[in-house]
Amino acid sequence: MNKVKGGYFHKLLKVDLSSNTWEVEPLSDDFISKYIGGRGFGAKLVWDNLKAHNFKIDPLGKENLLVVAPGPFTGLYLPSSGKTSFISISPATGIYGDSSMGGVFGVEFRQTGFDALSLKGKAPELSFLFIDDRDVSLVPAPELAGKGSLEAEGLIKQRLGDFTIHVAVIGPAGENRVAFASVNTDFGRNAGRTGVGAILGSKNLKAIVVRGSKDLPVYDLKKLNLETNKAITYLRNHKFFKFWQEQGLMCVIDYANNMGILPTHNFRDGSFARVNSINGFTMESKYKIGDAACFACPMACSNICLVKEGKYAGTVVEGPEYESCAMLGSNLGIDNFAAVLRANHLCDELGMDTITVGNLIGVLIEGYETGLLSLKDIEGEPLTWGDDEKVMRVIEKIARREGVGDILAGGSRKVIETWPQLSPIISQIKGLEQSAYDCRAAISMALGYATSDIGAHHTRAWTIAKELEDGRDWSLEEKAKLVIFHQTIRPLFDMFGVCRLPWIELGLNENHYAAFFSAVTGLDYSLDELMARSRDIYDLTRLINVKLGISRKDDQPPLRWFKDPVQTGPLAGKVLKREEFNTILDIYYQLRNWDAEGKPNPEVEKIFN
Amino acid sequence: MSKQLAIIPERCSGCKTCELVCSISHFNVTNPKKAAVRVMVVYPHPVVRMPIICSQCRIPKCADGCPVNAITRKNGTVEIDKETCIACLKCLKSCPFGAIFIHDDVEYPFKCDLCGGDPECVKACPKNAILFIPEHVLGQAQRINNVLSYSHMKEIEYFEKGEKKQIRYAEIGKEDV
Repeated sequence: MNKVKGGYFHKLLKVDLSSNTWEVEPLSDDFISKYIGGRGFGAKLVWDNLKAHNFKIDPLGKENLLVVAPGPFTGLYLPSSGKTSFISISPATGIYGDSSMGGVFGVEFRQTGFDALSLKGKAPELSFLFIDDRDVSLVPAPELAGKGSLEAEGLIKQRLGDFTIHVAVIGPAGENRVAFASVNTDFGRNAGRTGVGAILGSKNLKAIVVRGSKDLPVYDLKKLNLETNKAITYLRNHKFFKFWQEQGLMCVIDYANNMGILPTHNFRDGSFARVNSINGFTMESKYKIGDAACFACPMACSNICLVKEGKYAGTVVEGPEYESCAMLGSNLGIDNFAAVLRANHLCDELGMDTITVGNLIGVLIEGYETGLLSLKDIEGEPLTWGDDEKVMRVIEKIARREGVGDILAGGSRKVIETWPQLSPIISQIKGLEQSAYDCRAAISMALGYATSDIGAHHTRAWTIAKELEDGRDWSLEEKAKLVIFHQTIRPLFDMFGVCRLPWIELGLNENHYAAFFSAVTGLDYSLDELMARSRDIYDLTRLINVKLGISRKDDQPPLRWFKDPVQTGPLAGKVLKREEFNTILDIYYQLRNWDAEGKPNPEVEKIFN
Repeated sequence: MSKQLAIIPERCSGCKTCELVCSISHFNVTNPKKAAVRVMVVYPHPVVRMPIICSQCRIPKCADGCPVNAITRKNGTVEIDKETCIACLKCLKSCPFGAIFIHDDVEYPFKCDLCGGDPECVKACPKNAILFIPEHVLGQAQRINNVLSYSHMKEIEYFEKGEKKQIRYAEIGKEDV
């Protein structure tokens, strides 16, 4: 039995919104040492809830459980400790879904004295949940209906008379249950993927508001400080540290374009001719007015941008980061950075995932261009690449579910159901639209997307750089192993409640995290043991998905990657080969000890019961 | 020579590392709410992030507001004497910067003590937004800026080892008064 000596309050806050009641469930050492926190806690709680409902859950029904979970590292003095995960059954995909956000929300939540929050039921009217050191209350707030997420955050702070509280809030898209609605915090940081915002909307919950002041538990603070200082010294001396602060994730635009993996014109192409007008240098010289960082993050990857002139003057955005800029820029043929900022701002304010919005509007434009959609389908207004004003209008329509926006608001699954002819041009897996990396030349990335437990997102595996830089000639087995390594270590960061960027971008050694863990919790886990816990969680999320009907047929990359070669750039002519993909999928299943249909060994289930 | 903290809000990213290290070094706990520095983030109107921290004023308003004279300035640091303090919290309101703080677990109000001359926040700030500089240097940046932006200067270009360079100068006899 593992004795947990720090890092946790050992408390789960369970709120039932229907009955307006809450209770505190003690978390045992056994539970903690098995599931660690964040996504680990979430997956287990969602699994238990699914079992209790016989695996029949409407993602937008009262019965769906939404877990909000930072991790044992959130708020501590170690690099980039500001992460919180939202875990549930996704309305976009109908299967396991999670999404994480940075900022300070998770820190403040932990300071109220809880390790995680679970929400079920539905509030009788639009309300926000207010959690502080002493109490939990459901506050009716009908006046917030239809308010943008940034505006609502301001209004809530005003109403409570405290500008330092932290708020996780949804916009009109969440209220309207748009399948890819996001949860927003600190005026522009989002848990964007898998539609967690729509789940809050379905529960009539406009926001979760936290104000905490408790000490965060740490077993050996001295040891943690020593380890942290080592890690921070490494980061601050890294040759790219300064550049990273200057451009943040926007530096990836040029990288992706040079590598030929920048989504362009709805993923038809991997490089964008006018990339210079939307890259990091353009941002830095013309639009950037400040750096922004999540809690305790030295890297400050976020940029605050302001449009100073032209039709979008006055637009302020925390961002864009790479995905938003690629999906709302090159993917839509938009070469006006001010327009990208405006679109990003609209998505934040309305509360929607920029990746999905960029995907779906790209599909709409290509669909119309190639004749798959008629002018009537898109409401009589021609839509072309780079037409930023119309793009803004479509974004608004999606959030408010007007006209064609109502179809897009249902996500890929609804779009394909309405217009089956679009399925060859829509880049999605399991109903989740692909994030911004073209992988026709990188089979490991394709495998990573195909086997990601939430759908086509790179959060679980981002192997594309490694494969294109070092591993083009690797065997399929080596590539599959790389994917599994990523799918094991990357979720670990979401379990700890920290950001993975110091590790993936500046190469901070992963062993630091094992040292942090033993200092914080007093549990003497090696990195291998922590990886084993993470691997168990991957089995668990797979188990959830298998019970919800997922099998080999769903672990398939978008049709486009097999069929339409990249048109320009260094990867021109590349397509994914079906046979090769089937082979690597077989290898992957074997390495994971899943059967040929992708089903985990029945013995595995026992671990979680 | 006394030194003072200088804040450069334009550099601040709002990461709150200063708060963390302050609470760790003064209270030996991880709790940003127990820090004697507080990062205020105002967004989006206006867009600015600024760590709030005691300026160690030479004429401290907090001392003026203290009914029991518990606040004095010694060796360049404004201190609250716990023996005398009655925790009436009047100083919190009388400080024009809001740089004195309270916490439920802490009996007396607390404020920056410059860590005895080697402030942790200065060392930890990844953006160099908090500087610890000799008092006589305060204002120097503005003075130099003022000089450099003098608009009546002339400029010539020249080449040095094939590289184009410029020199700017103010020339007597060409005054624009």
